[in-house]
Amino acid sequence: MKRLARSIAPHLVLVVFSAIIVLPLLWVVRVSLTDKLTAYKIPPEIGSIGSMNYSAIFTSYPFTTWFFNSLIVALITTMIALPLATALAYVFARWNTGGVALRLGVLASQMLPPIILVLPLFAMFLMAGLMQSRISLIIAHLTICLPFLSWMLVSFFEGDVARLEEAARVDGATRWQAFIKIAVPVAAPGLLAAGLLGFILSWNEFLFALVLSGPDTQTLPVGLAGLETHAGVEIAPLAAATVVSLLPVFLLLPFLRKHLIKGLSLGALK
Amino acid sequence: MADIVLDRVSKIYPNGVPAVREVSLDIKDGEFMIFLGPSGCGKSTTLRMIAGLESISAGQLSIGGERMNDVDPADRNIAIVFQNYALYPHMSVAGNLGFGLQLRHVPKAEIDRRIKDIATMLGITELLSRKPAQLSGGQRQRVALGRALVRDPKAFLLDEPLSNLDAKLRASMRTELIKLHQKLGTTIVHVTHDQVEAMTMGQRICIMKDGEIVQVGAPMEVYRNPANTFVAGFLASPPMNLVSGRLEHDQAGLAAVAGTARFVLPPALRDGYAAQSGNAVTLGLRPEDFHLSRGNVKLSQAVPVATVATEVLGPEVILVCELGGNGGPEVMVRCPRDFSASPGQPLTLHYDLSQIHLFDKTTGKVLSRPSLI
Ligand SMILES: Nc1ncnc2c1ncn2[C@@H]1O[C@H](COP(=O)(O)OP(=O)(O)O)[C@@H](O)[C@H]1O
Ligand SMILES: [Mg+2]
Repeated sequence: MKRLARSIAPHLVLVVFSAIIVLPLLWVVRVSLTDKLTAYKIPPEIGSIGSMNYSAIFTSYPFTTWFFNSLIVALITTMIALPLATALAYVFARWNTGGVALRLGVLASQMLPPIILVLPLFAMFLMAGLMQSRISLIIAHLTICLPFLSWMLVSFFEGDVARLEEAARVDGATRWQAFIKIAVPVAAPGLLAAGLLGFILSWNEFLFALVLSGPDTQTLPVGLAGLETHAGVEIAPLAAATVVSLLPVFLLLPFLRKHLIKGLSLGALK
Repeated sequence: MADIVLDRVSKIYPNGVPAVREVSLDIKDGEFMIFLGPSGCGKSTTLRMIAGLESISAGQLSIGGERMNDVDPADRNIAIVFQNYALYPHMSVAGNLGFGLQLRHVPKAEIDRRIKDIATMLGITELLSRKPAQLSGGQRQRVALGRALVRDPKAFLLDEPLSNLDAKLRASMRTELIKLHQKLGTTIVHVTHDQVEAMTMGQRICIMKDGEIVQVGAPMEVYRNPANTFVAGFLASPPMNLVSGRLEHDQAGLAAVAGTARFVLPPALRDGYAAQSGNAVTLGLRPEDFHLSRGNVKLSQAVPVATVATEVLGPEVILVCELGGNGGPEVMVRCPRDFSASPGQPLTLHYDLSQIHLFDKTTGKVLSRPSLI
């Protein structure tokens, strides 16, 4: 009896938490398949089901442009942020460059509310003639990604990896070879996790994108927000667009499962 | 020739810890040298300075007559085996073995041949395609050793390589390392805090304490003539009994007195120590120099003791007893395996006076003693 309770209790807790996470998603998926009127019916009705919202977002709204912008900005941001953050994390871990002050300084910029940073950035991009460009968005997103990624990666270069590099250097490797051939491959799960985090941070970022983008460079979060018009919220197409914008993250899921978890539990790497 | 010469080498870590102080040592080409000392005494730091992994704060290091202070570890052609093995986790065993050769642009066929040779020698041929995570502790240790051997370096530096193995495996690896050294004749510097390893493996032992060398010499030499109470109390198990006492003149001549136990020094020793009469000393009495009967020990001193306990080890029995009788300082005595005594039981033991060690009470340094003829 007690044993049974003990095995059921955790499952109950998990079911509750899973429901909290999954139910809104299910609701979004359902709404995306009906129309606005059915969506708000209480008690819920199945109503007519169809894919009209999905075609609508591609025909009535510049969804493809938003999606493409988001993808480009997130990919390039990650591709720039990851190597830079890796280098930053490595010097922090190996030489404690700048000491605690620099480490905290790097993160301090992220403690300010983003709204404070957005106006200076706006002014700078205006002067540089970069307003409404994707480049301005990428630079802005880098200011978010770099601090987070470098902090996340420091721990991956501390500890055992240093011993491995020493072994490599005695084996005949230069510092660079030890870094590239030993430290980076050993920290690979962490690098992958950091890359995914960088992508997701940029993909979901709203405020900078809202202020810095123009009609042609709007990203998904900005575009989707635009569906909440004066005439009310276009809930059904909004739901469809949300579902599509979740797709990349779903596609990354198998990877996430395999590497992110491994990356986050690097302590087990012996 | 690859003599490793340390000339007043010191290491002060950036945080101000003086880990190694003015260490001077000449490790001969082909020698099996042991660094022995308690944890934290600077053994690893010294080894790491030889390998080039730690900068040298002061003094000079030369290998084969060349100054090495500022030479990159990659260019020293020295191999090191770490305590936790530090195998590259993302490479197979073969990859681990071949890594150093690849960096040196050795041709692929030659690399394969050498990996095969070493793997055969160490009996790890079936493991070549495995990853380190799929190996047992003993197998990892072999791979780490193989990674060092495959490059044919000028010297091997081993930092407590056996300390993570279980007792049985450790004993067999000890023998294997000795054989390996005999076969290759390459210089080995072996760091350990295990005095059994030190006594059995090395040609010379360098005993360190608090970042300084305390004594260097062949195992038996250090065992016979410990330079101070630290060495005396560190080497052998059970180690030398150290008892505080005094040197006194009495009607029989000069005697070393500890509590109620008196050791009347033989004439040859008496003259040498006469000047120290009246001084406080530490007596060093090895457990194996006590005997149950006078037997054929030439110069012996009968001492009464009171039994405290016996520890039966199998091949021998360790008698813990109070020197001079009840209430005296506790000492350990090595007895034959058939010995037995009950707690409280008084006994008379005989100490071999040619093996008495006297140390300065305050400095712990051995009192220079005349040689016994
Ligand atoms: N990287 C380091 N930074 C500061 N102090 C260190 C460092 N490595 C070792 N030490 C200190 O130096 C002393 C000697 O250490 P070590 O050479 O590792 O001793 P051992 O190998 O004999 O146990 C110790 O007091 C240790 O705390
Ligand atoms: Mg050590």
